[in-house]
Amino acid sequence: MKESSSVPEDVKQRINWLLIFIVICFSILIISLWYLQMIKGEELRKRAVENCIRSLVENAPRGNIYDRYGEMLVTNRPAVMVSIIPAEVGDLEELSKRLSEIIGLSKEVIEQKVKKYTDNPFRPVKILDDCKKEKIIEIEERKDELKGVVLEVQPRRNYLYHELAAHSLGYVGEIDKEELQRLGNPKFQGGDIIGKTGLEKYYDDILRGEKGGKEVEVDALGREITLLLYQKPVPGKDLILTIDKDLQLYGENLFYGKKGSIIVSNPYTGEILALVNRPSFNPNLFTSGISYPDWERLSSDPEYPLTNRSVQGVYAPGSIFKVVTAIAALEEGVTDTKRKVYCSGTFELADQVFTCWKESGHGSLSIVDGIAHSCNIYFYTMGKELGIEGFSKYMHKFGLGEKVGIDLPAEALGTIPSSEWKQKEYKQIWFPGDNINLSIGQGFLLLTPLQIHSIICAITTEGKIYRLHLVKEIISPDGSVVKEIKPEVYRKVDISINTFQTVKEGLRATILKGTGWRANIKELSIAGKTGTAQNPQGETHAWFIGFAPYENPEVCITIFIENGGEGGETAAPIARAMLEKYFNIQK
Amino acid sequence: MKEKLNKLTENLDYTLLFAVVILCFYGILVLYSSTRIESMGGETYFYVKRQFLWMISGLLFLTIIIFIDYHKLERYSQVIYFGVLVLLVVVIIFGRSTYGARRWLAIGPFDFQPSEFAKIALIIFLADFLSKNKPKLDNFFYFLLPFAYTGLLILLVFKQPDLGTSLVYLAILIIMLFAVGVKIKYLILTFFVALSSIPLLWVFLKEYQKKRLILFFNPNLDPLGGGYNVIQSKIAIGSGGFLGNGLFSGLQSQLNFLPAQHTDFIFSVVGEELGFAGAILLLGLYAIILWRGIKIALEARDLLGTLLATGAVAFLFFHIVVNIGMAMGMLPATGLPLPFLSYGGSFMISNLLTIGILLNVELNKIKW
Repeated sequence: MKESSSVPEDVKQRINWLLIFIVICFSILIISLWYLQMIKGEELRKRAVENCIRSLVENAPRGNIYDRYGEMLVTNRPAVMVSIIPAEVGDLEELSKRLSEIIGLSKEVIEQKVKKYTDNPFRPVKILDDCKKEKIIEIEERKDELKGVVLEVQPRRNYLYHELAAHSLGYVGEIDKEELQRLGNPKFQGGDIIGKTGLEKYYDDILRGEKGGKEVEVDALGREITLLLYQKPVPGKDLILTIDKDLQLYGENLFYGKKGSIIVSNPYTGEILALVNRPSFNPNLFTSGISYPDWERLSSDPEYPLTNRSVQGVYAPGSIFKVVTAIAALEEGVTDTKRKVYCSGTFELADQVFTCWKESGHGSLSIVDGIAHSCNIYFYTMGKELGIEGFSKYMHKFGLGEKVGIDLPAEALGTIPSSEWKQKEYKQIWFPGDNINLSIGQGFLLLTPLQIHSIICAITTEGKIYRLHLVKEIISPDGSVVKEIKPEVYRKVDISINTFQTVKEGLRATILKGTGWRANIKELSIAGKTGTAQNPQGETHAWFIGFAPYENPEVCITIFIENGGEGGETAAPIARAMLEKYFNIQK
Repeated sequence: MKEKLNKLTENLDYTLLFAVVILCFYGILVLYSSTRIESMGGETYFYVKRQFLWMISGLLFLTIIIFIDYHKLERYSQVIYFGVLVLLVVVIIFGRSTYGARRWLAIGPFDFQPSEFAKIALIIFLADFLSKNKPKLDNFFYFLLPFAYTGLLILLVFKQPDLGTSLVYLAILIIMLFAVGVKIKYLILTFFVALSSIPLLWVFLKEYQKKRLILFFNPNLDPLGGGYNVIQSKIAIGSGGFLGNGLFSGLQSQLNFLPAQHTDFIFSVVGEELGFAGAILLLGLYAIILWRGIKIALEARDLLGTLLATGAVAFLFFHIVVNIGMAMGMLPATGLPLPFLSYGGSFMISNLLTIGILLNVELNKIKW
């Protein structure tokens, strides 16, 4: 039996309001739950997994690089990185203070770095790269008061001879966003080291090997609970270069204080024995990430130390190009071994007067003498009769304007003029005067030292250009040969043997009695051509191309001295010195 | 006697009792999952055993309480109040210190928290006081009197320090004042006065309490310190999705990523392992209890009964909302446990005592 309640009505009303309030609160809770679990559920689930599954990458050691005799040029050295694991830090301020005393970074910088870490507080944050030995020892000793600090050993690229062959070897660095996008994400991750220039870049996938790693389940303290996956890293392969370290070093010293390039190769295999570019730089600067002042210094240096002149610098060849003119003229029947041209010192074409470098003139010359004395008039005559079509045909035969095929990235192709080209570039027709300039390698023509070198190689072998390359063998770390790079005919130059032989005669004469007399030594029969190229940047460029010994050639050589003056005066002696070194001619 | 027993069994609110029993077992299961790894010395049932013991003790007290007509308590309400006051003073002086707080008194092998029982004492005291003096409450100064009584408790508890529990007392007071029919404008006035005194109170807050409030607004300011808990909790709850990861399988819970997962953050375990479905089930059980509680309050025989029931509802409601809200990052961390789930003896007993109060009021809505 229920009695009527003595609870006042207003109280009952209030309690009903209370009920409504409870309902509202619960509804809010349910909606928030829905949001967290259903809408953000997927995202949070991922984070939950991230919290406890750790992927630890094990990097493969990068392959070494050796010269042709097995001398090590590039290897890896262990570098110690000082990092902090945020999750293990007790008092960040105190730790930063102590650490800054040891390593010299300001404590604010250290604190900032730790605070900026990514979502994962168990991943070490890099504080200082490549820590010096004394500091490492001190950190190790004071380990107990530096809880949270870890020392990680990472391999760093080490270029043992600093500036030696820097442009050919190249350097490595951390992959950037553009490269990451281009090269594809599964294989690469941010922070990976890849080759940026030179051989390091060209052979990057061979040198790099394959990353390994493990996936572990960890608990909140970072302790590894279960090993879920393990993959062993595959070490990178080593490269054996064609380069002779001693010859290379000798060449670099010869070029001390000069700008330019030296190329020495075996014309019958394409193996490059020395590839000198100066001025040079130290690739070790880039290894741990180049510092801003260093980068500033290098990139704003007016002598462009970072440029690989042999492969990427384009210059007017000057008189060197006369060999091509000669070949074209002989093949086209414009001249022969007997025809003589008279050099008075001047040459008239319509209303223009062109001169020979010898003001008084050379007198009457055959082609061999024309080459030997580098007579301009002789070649103007050839040029006038060949015309641009003639030139184009033979420039094309030599493969000028196309890649030389060296195993380096980013080859420059030069500027190969033609009437179409001039029409497009300058909106002008090809003038007869342009032929005159072209005949002596001036005017619009620009070539790289490497392209020039391929010309002399073709002449030396009388028609075969073997692919110029820097790497001889690829071997695995245990020493077994993975790949041997065999000599390969890259291009056949379709020109008659007679023509080649006539030009070679001219090249020998150049040394014996012509402009290249400074390269004349009794121990070795050198043949070659000097060149002095005018250019808008000031002093003339000095060139020399040649081969030795004349009877049975073993090597080809190209010397280019930027703003070096006269070919015969400055380039020829260097060629001689290089050849003496190569043939071990003691003085 | 037999007659009484029959009347008892007939009129017991079985829905309420049933919900409570299910909740208790739900709680034991979840507690087991959250503690089986972390247990001391590898004994997986350590926490669960104890919780079960407290549960049985609480049920015992509950049964006793049901048999006593609440009107008999009227006489003792003041005694109870002062008794608890004394205990709170004793705790401050002699209490066992943990994490820089003195909250526990040791009696023999057992620790108990007087502040928990103070909540019950406050409900009883206020129910008695307010029901007797309802008309006088229209006077503003008289209206302030219950604040004084409550304030004393708050002060003593605040000194422990225990901000969360102080808030519980305040909540119980406010809700009961609201229920008894006090003028709304008085409440609003008090609210604004309280609001404007916060800057003043800020000075009295301890460092870590200030930190808690700041971190509430942006847990990412200290993701490894104070902000860690909430961030981890949200990850745990969210990652449960609809059905959860399964009991004993929550990544965060089982691998130790949730701090205090057997006490303050036990809801996160529910969210992670039992998902949205499991959480809704829990909320459903709570909702049933609160609904029945309100019903009991509305159908009580007299104002005293109503207020007792209201106080009990307020107690449970406040804990539920604040704990779950905190686990989801919607409210600042206050350290309030979750009824019937969080590990803790005194709390479990006081939870069951409130249920006892509700059942008592229900049973006695008819005059025997």
